Formats: sequence, structure tokens, C-alpha cells
Amino acid sequence: MLEIKNLTKVYDTGTVALKDVTCTIPDGSFTVVIGLSGSGKSTMLRCINRLIDPTDGQIIFDGQDITAARGEELRKIRREIGMIFQHFNLVRRSTVLTNVLSGRLGYVNPAMSLFNRFPQEDRDRALEALEQVGLDDKAYNRADALSGGQQQRVGIARALMQRPKMILADEPVASLDPVLAHSIMEYLEKLNQEQGITILCSLHYLDLVQRYSTNVIGLRRGRLVYQGTNEDIRNLTDADFKDIYGEQAVRIGTGSITG
Amino acid sequence: MSAELPPELANMQQDEEGDIIMNPIRERNPLVTAAMGIVPGLGHFYIGRPVAGILYLISGIFMVLLILWVGAQAEFDPFGQMFARDVERYLGIALLQYLLIAFAVLFWVWQAAAAALKTAGRRRAAPVVGAVALIGFTYLLGFQATEVDLEKFITEFPDTFRIFTLIIWPWEQAVQRDEILLTAQTNWLTPCAGDPPEQTREGDTWITLDPACGEIAAFSLEEARVVPGTQLTATGSGFDPGVPVELWWILQSTDPDVPEEEVEDPETPEGAPEVEGFIPNLLVNIVPPPPEEEEEIIDVDAVAGFASHPPVYNADPRIGTLANPEDFEDGQTGSIEIIPNEEGMFEVTFGAPQSLPTPDEGPYTYVWQARQTEALSAPRISDDFRLAVDRMVVTIFQALMATSLGIIFAVPVSFLAARNLMFDNPITRIIYYVVRFLLNVVRSIEPIIWGVIAIAWVGLGPFAGVMALMIHTIAALGKLYSESIESIDAGPIEAITATGATRLQTILFAIVPQIVPPYISFTLYRWDINVRMSTIIGFVGGGGIGQILFQWINQSRWGSAGMAVWLIAITVSVLDYASSELRKRFV
Ligand SMILES: Nc1ncnc2c1ncn2[C@@H]1O[C@H](COP(=O)(O)OP(=O)(O)OP(=O)(O)O)[C@@H](O)[C@H]1O
Ligand SMILES: [Mg+2]
Repeated sequence: MLEIKNLTKVYDTGTVALKDVTCTIPDGSFTVVIGLSGSGKSTMLRCINRLIDPTDGQIIFDGQDITAARGEELRKIRREIGMIFQHFNLVRRSTVLTNVLSGRLGYVNPAMSLFNRFPQEDRDRALEALEQVGLDDKAYNRADALSGGQQQRVGIARALMQRPKMILADEPVASLDPVLAHSIMEYLEKLNQEQGITILCSLHYLDLVQRYSTNVIGLRRGRLVYQGTNEDIRNLTDADFKDIYGEQAVRIGTGSITG
Repeated sequence: MSAELPPELANMQQDEEGDIIMNPIRERNPLVTAAMGIVPGLGHFYIGRPVAGILYLISGIFMVLLILWVGAQAEFDPFGQMFARDVERYLGIALLQYLLIAFAVLFWVWQAAAAALKTAGRRRAAPVVGAVALIGFTYLLGFQATEVDLEKFITEFPDTFRIFTLIIWPWEQAVQRDEILLTAQTNWLTPCAGDPPEQTREGDTWITLDPACGEIAAFSLEEARVVPGTQLTATGSGFDPGVPVELWWILQSTDPDVPEEEVEDPETPEGAPEVEGFIPNLLVNIVPPPPEEEEEIIDVDAVAGFASHPPVYNADPRIGTLANPEDFEDGQTGSIEIIPNEEGMFEVTFGAPQSLPTPDEGPYTYVWQARQTEALSAPRISDDFRLAVDRMVVTIFQALMATSLGIIFAVPVSFLAARNLMFDNPITRIIYYVVRFLLNVVRSIEPIIWGVIAIAWVGLGPFAGVMALMIHTIAALGKLYSESIESIDAGPIEAITATGATRLQTILFAIVPQIVPPYISFTLYRWDINVRMSTIIGFVGGGGIGQILFQWINQSRWGSAGMAVWLIAITVSVLDYASSELRKRFV
């Protein structure tokens, strides 16, 4: 279970990206964060694995205080939380296999990894993970030789290598076409349902939200303005919508969102 | 053009750019303004343009200082002689000074007029004139400061052309034919003490001296002249008829401090016999026979004025044999040739020469050696060419070592100088600034200056060159490398960090793969520069081909220098091509 308590982030520039956000992400849930661009979705996800240091507040993951963790302790927490990115963030010049294996870096003997040596067990597991995302034939290709959808699947495989309890996904499908978007989301859904991995994902398209999420969090200008289940999203009222997307926002379609 | 002014400034005026002018100019009298222009800039102060005024004032002061400085250049050393060049220079400076003063006056009038014209309501007061005046002033000064002398382009050309042809096509120097010498020698004692050395007439080729001992010529302080040495008659036999014979005169060392082996001297004539225990290469000058002398046995006694002009010793073996006796009379620095008769014999009489250093205690034994070039060996690659190739190889290795050692230091340094790696934390941020600063300082000092420092540090030779290049390489590559780190994609760094990797793992997995191609490319580029620089670093003593090239240029051995230049050009262009080809594969 991930508990976020009074999370506040003020950037050096003075931008208040998150303001007093408190919420709980239940274990095994597929939680989606929605909100306008600039509402603080990425900031929130990055605070969770401390790619960004929060200014104030607490994040508790399985009883461990992430915000207080340092060094070794922080790395141990990070390796239990996988992350996938909008722009995949693969090391483009390395092979697919190396990219996937780098998901094990938090576990392996640091000295061995410096020479790009991974235990056979990890290599087998990497190939297995690639098989899971349907890319076992591309293991020795360079990462930049893959299409966007394939790269995102490599990103998922890399996260899987961490044997994560939770996966953070920051707009994982925003740079993919709708068909690919669904296929990626289906992979995430499968991980969520079959392996019980908690997914915390930010999304822009309400149809995807409706189709894949179990829980939804709405952010607006850094504040938590909405919290509900998938059921609630299907019955999202105009008032709720305006809460999240602002007074001027116009909903396309009526009643529920098609998806 | 003027914007609407707020009410409190409504009575202010604006100039064409919309700036507010403190004192509206139309209220001023142009004549007063012009009068104030006597002090540069004051007129502009008066019309309410203090910035322009200050600039004019500074420019004026600057011009006056420059004129004074140029004047100071004309004062030459009162104790030195005044050469034609100095006169020319003096006149040049005087002319320049007048021109500068003319410009200064122009400037002065112009600034006053500009201020006055502005008062009179004409706003754009001839800025072009001022700009032209300033540019003219600058170029005049530059012309003088760099001593541009266009005349020399023409007058010095013929000499240069000769040198130039030697450099353009130096390959005659790449081959040499050695002299095969026929020699004979005998000993001679000075002063006479005990038994004089025996003069034997044994073997096929021999030489004897009569008398076998005597005095050498010496400079007498009391008489303020050279006191001639004993008259000697050298007789030789067994030489090739008609082929010139040189007479060499060598002090046999009796002093144990004098090293036994010959001093390494690249100037030693090819084929000179390596006689142990000799101070090398004292070449004797023999008074020439009169040109009309037809006798087979040359009697130098017959030459008028011989007694008062003893042969002088010549320490410069490069001069070699002079073909013409007249040369000897002019320079008194050559030796002459003795031509043996049909039986291969000769006899020549001369005064014992002067020796430097004059041995003040004796007796000393000298070896007299008669040398005849019997034949020339088959052509072979010359020593200079071998030396040049050898040094070129050294130079390439210098560049290699400097580049490799440079990389070893530059890689870690580049991480410390990368903003994106060092900026999250105040301590590392300080390190970043310090490293950046050091890199900029070191880089701004030319490798040649580092060469001088390195020589003071590790002494003359190739290592100094390597060090100089290495230091500059660290700074230059450190900068380039760190910039390529700064331009990498931050995404993978985040992704790898998020997996729980350590900082070092993050560098190795997220940063290194991204920076390897630019690093290789920059390194090749630097290696290219280092090859070029290492050819130059020798000029200050950093070893390699530059050092030998510098030596040859100083000795006016243009042919050999030309070979070195060619080798440098060939090597640099080959490596240049190779490195650009290689770079293409990585970018
Ligand atoms: N590194 C940063 N430094 C300063 N301000 C930042 C930084 N990153 C984000 N911000 C600001 O913080 C606010 C929240 O940004 P964030 O990236 O979290 O929004 P988001 O909801 O992810 O938007 P999007 O949907 O466009 O990705 C924005 O106003 C943004 O300008
Ligand atoms: Mg975002």
C-alpha cells in the first residue's frame, strides 16, 4: 500500500507543482492519475521514487518512509518500484537485452555489473521478460532500431526485471498511436491482474482511463480534486469534470465517456 | 517614433530612439556648445548627453596617450649605432605621429561640431566621419606596431626564392655519397723537448714533417701580434696524383680529463677517421701557392708576406676545402688543397699554425694527417633523411602518448565538469565551477607555452613535448567531453536511477553508451591536433621533428629543413585523412 500524506513540491523556480496532496493507492489497484497538462501528475509520480525530492509531506510504501530514505535504503525501495516513461527512456545505443538487464542493477553485485556481467539467471529472466512482451527475437538489436511501441514494451520488460511490487507509468502511451496504446495498456493490465502488481499511471485519454483503471485520482493545479473508482468514472458528473479540467473545459459526448 | 510620455516628463524631450534627453537641446546656443567642445566631450555634457560625453573624453585621452606612446618608440638607444634601418624607422614614426595628430585634430573638431550641430537641431551629425577617423587611426597604428614593410616583399624575394626552391624540392639531400679517404699521419711535438717523434717513410702512403718538433704560432700580448710558428715542411707520398690533399692538425690528448671518445657532433665530415684520444677536427690552413705556380713541388716560402701572416687555425670544419686561393686571402678561414704530383708526392712548407686553446704547458704531441678523397661511395640514404624520419616517428609517438595520457585524465575530469551531473548538490556544484575554471585557464595557454614550462619541469626532450601536449589535451578534451555529457538525453539516466542503480552504475549504463561516439570523435580530432602541435613543440625544445627542423633552420640547412617540412606535411595529411575517415564511422 502506498500512502501519500500532505505531499508538497515547490520547484526551485518557485512553481508550486503539488500542494498538500493526501491519498492512498491500494495494493493491487490500477490507479490512474488524471489532470490537465501542468497539473502535477509527473511531479507526483517522480516524488514516489524520489527522482524528485518532495519539499514537504510523507510517502509511505509498505511501511517504509520513502521521503526519509537515503542511499542504500532508497535504492532498495526504488528497485521494488518499476517505472515506465512517455519517451521510453531506453539507452538507445545499447542492445535491447542490455536495456532489459539494466532493470536488475539494483540487485546485482555492483562490481560485476560494471563489466556488463550479469548472472545467467538474470539473463534467462531477461529473455523471459522479452518473451512476455513479445520481443524475444529482438534481444540483440539496438534499442533505437525498434519502433515506438516495441521500445515501450522493452521499457515494460525492464521494469518487470525489477520484480516490482508497483509500477509507475508516466503517460506511457502518449507518444503512441491508439492501437499501440491499447496494446501497451493491455500489457499493464495483464501485469496488474496476473501478477498483482500495483499500477500507478498517468493518462490523458478518458476512454483509456475508463477502460483500464480501477481507481482514479484527479489533480488540478497541484491539488487533489478528485478521487474515485472506475465505477465513479463511468458516472463522472459535469461538476466533477469541471473540477478536474477547469470551468472552461467542455466535455465531448454526453453522460459517460465512450471507450 | 516617440512614445507618449507620462505627464511628469511631458516637458522632456526624446531623441530618435525615444530616450529622454535631460536638457532639451534647442534651448542651448550652438556657439556655446562648440566652444565647450574644446574639451572633448564637454559639449555633449552640456547638451545633456553625459554618456556620449564620457566616451568622447575617454577617446580623446586615449588618442593623446597613443600619440605619446608612438613618439616614445622613436627614441632609439643613444649608445647604440644608428643604422639606416633606424633612420627609416624614425622617419616612419615621425610621419605616423603627424598622421595620428591629424586624426586626433579631426576627431576633436568633429566632436565639437557634432555637439554644436545637435544644438542647432540637426540630429544626425556626421557619425560616418567619426567612424572613418577612428578606423583610420586604428589601422595606421596597427601598420606601425606590426612593422609592415611592403618593400621587403620585393627586395628580399631573390634570397627567399633560393631557400624556397630548396624547401620545395629538398630530395637531393635525401641521398648522399660518402668520401672514401686515403690518409697518412705522423706525430709532431711542441715545444721541442727530449726526443722528437720519429718521421718514418714506411708503407705505401706516408707523410713526414721537418723539423719533427717546434713552436706553434701564438698571439703575443706584448707585441700585439701573432708570433709565427716554426717553419715546417710536410712531405708526402703514395697519394693519387692530381687529387687534392687536405692537411689536418689534431692535438693528441695528454690530459686524462679530456674524454677519450669523440664528442657527438653531427657536423663531423662524413668519413673523418675516428682517431682515439684526439681533440677532433682542427683543420689547418695552409698559405696558398701563387696561382701561376707551375712547379710540381710547391714552395710556400715563395709567397710574399708569409712570415707576417702565419696560417690561422680554423675550428669550423664545415668550411671544408676551398678551391680558390683568393678565398683564403679574404676570409682567412679556409684551408687549401695540395695537389700531389704525377708520382703521388707533394712537399709543402708553411708556418706551424696557432692553436686554441693554446697549450701553456708542454710538451704536446700533435697528429698531422694528410687526407685525400680517393673515391665516392655508392649513393645511399642520407643521415639527415634518416634523422628526419626517425624524429618524425618520435613525433607520431609523442602525439599518441600525449593523446592517450590526456584521455586518461580528461575522462574523469569531464564528469566533474558536466553541469548536468554536478548541479544537484552544492558541494559538487562548487567542484564543477572550480574544474571548469581550471580547464578554461589551462586551455587558454597555448601548448607551446606549456612546452616551455614542461622543459623547465622535466628537461629538454620528447617527454617535455608529451607533457605539454598532454596538459593541453586534458583541458581541451575535458571541455569537449563534458559538453558532450551535458548534451546527452537525461531520460535514460532517470530510468536507470529509478531501477535502484548506484551512481556509478548509472554513469556506466546510462551515460557511457551515449558519450562513447562523441568521445571517440573528439579524441580522433584531438589526436589530429596533437600530431600537428607536436611538430611545433620541438621548436622550444620539446623533442621530435620540430627540434631538428628548428636546428636546421638556424643552421640555414634549407635542404634538410625542407625534408623535415615535407615529412610533416605528408604525415599530417595522411593522419588527417585517416582520422576524418575514422570519425565518419562513429558519428
Ligand atoms: N524541473 C522543473 N523545474 C521547475 N518547474 C517544473 C519542473 N518540472 C515541472 N515543473 C512545473 O511544475 C508544474 C507541474 O509539472 P508536471 O510536469 O508535474 O505536470 P504534468 O501534470 O505532468 O503535465 P503534463 O501532462 O504536461 O506532463 C508545471 O507548472 C511545470 O511547469
Ligand atoms: Mg508529465
